[in-house]
Amino acid sequence: MDPFEYAKSIADMWAMGGKALLSAQQTAARAMEIALAPGALPDFTRMTDVATDVAEFSRAWQSVMELWSAATALAQTLPGPAKDATVEATFQKLADPRSWLSVTGEMDEFLGRMAEGPRFSDILNVERKFAQVYRAWLTMRQRGMEQATVVLEAWQRAAKLFGAEIAKSAAPRDGDAMLKLWVETANQALLEMQRSERFLEAQARMIRASTDLRLAQQDLVEYYGEQFGFPTRRELDDVYKAVTELRRELRALRRASNPAPHPKVRAKAKTGD
Amino acid sequence: MSAKDARPTISPAAGVAGMAQLGNKMLTGTRLLNAVRDGDVAIGTTPKDLIWQQDKVSLYHFRPLTERTVRTPVLIVYGLIGRWTMADLQEDRSLARNLLNLGIDLYVVDWGNPSRADRWLTLDDYIDGYLYDCVQEIFTREAVPKLNLLGICEGGVFTTCFAALYPLLVKTMALTITPIDFHADTVENRTGHGFINIWTRSLAPEDIDKLIDANGCLPGQFMGAVFNQMTPMRTLLKYNIDLLDVVDDEKKLLNFLRMEKWIADRPDHPGEAAKQWLKELYQDNKLVRNELHIGGRRVDLGQITMPVLNVYAKDDHIIPPATSRALGDKVGTKDYSELGLPGGHVGVFVGGRSQSLFAPGVAKWLAERE
Repeated sequence: MDPFEYAKSIADMWAMGGKALLSAQQTAARAMEIALAPGALPDFTRMTDVATDVAEFSRAWQSVMELWSAATALAQTLPGPAKDATVEATFQKLADPRSWLSVTGEMDEFLGRMAEGPRFSDILNVERKFAQVYRAWLTMRQRGMEQATVVLEAWQRAAKLFGAEIAKSAAPRDGDAMLKLWVETANQALLEMQRSERFLEAQARMIRASTDLRLAQQDLVEYYGEQFGFPTRRELDDVYKAVTELRRELRALRRASNPAPHPKVRAKAKTGD
Repeated sequence: MSAKDARPTISPAAGVAGMAQLGNKMLTGTRLLNAVRDGDVAIGTTPKDLIWQQDKVSLYHFRPLTERTVRTPVLIVYGLIGRWTMADLQEDRSLARNLLNLGIDLYVVDWGNPSRADRWLTLDDYIDGYLYDCVQEIFTREAVPKLNLLGICEGGVFTTCFAALYPLLVKTMALTITPIDFHADTVENRTGHGFINIWTRSLAPEDIDKLIDANGCLPGQFMGAVFNQMTPMRTLLKYNIDLLDVVDDEKKLLNFLRMEKWIADRPDHPGEAAKQWLKELYQDNKLVRNELHIGGRRVDLGQITMPVLNVYAKDDHIIPPATSRALGDKVGTKDYSELGLPGGHVGVFVGGRSQSLFAPGVAKWLAERE
């Protein structure tokens, strides 16, 4: 296979993958816009107690739309798919960015699961908090893309090194040898990438964003809990803390009343050493 | 010679033969996988009895397999990341069984499955609370003045702290793949080694607090994902290439599945203890600096005056050898030995080569100090 053709096909697939991701975000934003259009929701402005929330929500929504516009602009910068991209099936599989991303994608998936709680349709009556959640979600997606960019660059580097290595050798290679070479080359490139400041910073930002999203969701759930009289996460954590502290006190009392069976420990306890 | 000349070349005959071989392998593998039952891949099966429980913590006593050769019992202490069953993965690759076969009287502590309800538990609770109580429970059963401790990974840190705080209770301390100097990953600085050290240092302390407050713990699945990042291609190929390699060999397939079972059993790390682990140890490196406080007392490694055996894996990418070996200069005993074993972090326990070195090495060392 021609290494240049190979690299080109990879670039095409990255572009398609990036566009698909952004397209999904745009669809979500459009759906939200329709759902929140005049007439789609009760007129909250007549309710004086929520008027402030509505105003804050409007501002928050404006921020969301600005983010969406920025994402749309980013999408325009990505190249379209090539018309003549043809690669052999085996190497297409190897070069599939979906499988590449699945290495660090496991982290993304987990963080996503940590972050993704109630669906938006469940929370339309708490718009301000909802907007905070949505903004946090968009930020997390953005951070995810930033991290994916760093990872994809490492794969690109691996692909170039692999292509160059193949070009160097005159002897034909069998499938196993090619696979071994690809695994070694890609592994080295990924490990080097993972130690880089860029990757570590990108992943730290991704973790921060996913945590912020989870906290925003928890804040929303706390609101529901308080409204309907359900025990909240915060209240349960308070109870857990009290239980842990009581157990510590119990342990201390038990030790005081039943000295350690070991004589040397008893002696040590008496001296307060 | 152009690049196109170097493309892979497979003859039609070889291609058909390869396809047939692969088909046969898949067929056999499918049959084997269909026949496998949970009991076939049971781990931690060496017979033992539950002798004590407190909250979620359990203390087990292994049943003897032969006559006792070392009078003082050994307590195995694993950490909160992963499960002690690594030391008893399968009958022919089991540190516990090997030690029992060499006449060692063996106990093990199981920390259970911490949940959000345990988010406020600290390292102090584990070391100065549960571990202390486990040791005392063994003293009520055994007519011995001191105990031998065998700490593994994070459990090795627990053991080290305990030995420094209660040297009068500890006859000997053996550590396995235990980090002491959490910044010594920079000594060798091997690519692919010590990633967790670098990764943890890259996080802001307030981000660690937020992550744990948001989850109430350090989720086991999260740490699993971090571990998988350390071996990117191995992670990617595990369920296709690696599994395909062993799928038609029953023994190898069951070994593979047992390891998967252990990997999947990742308890959540209690929140406050995780903050201490990541910030005070990985980031601030307080243990080797004698600045860590447990139960209101400073952990001074110089107080470790009993014999120490430090077992490390020569190719450990999770706990680089230098992070373990740093203990040698810090302890207050002259009876300090090291045992470097071939293999990596997990290979020390399940690798074929270490089976004849690890348990016999520990048993011999213990017997010499009895």
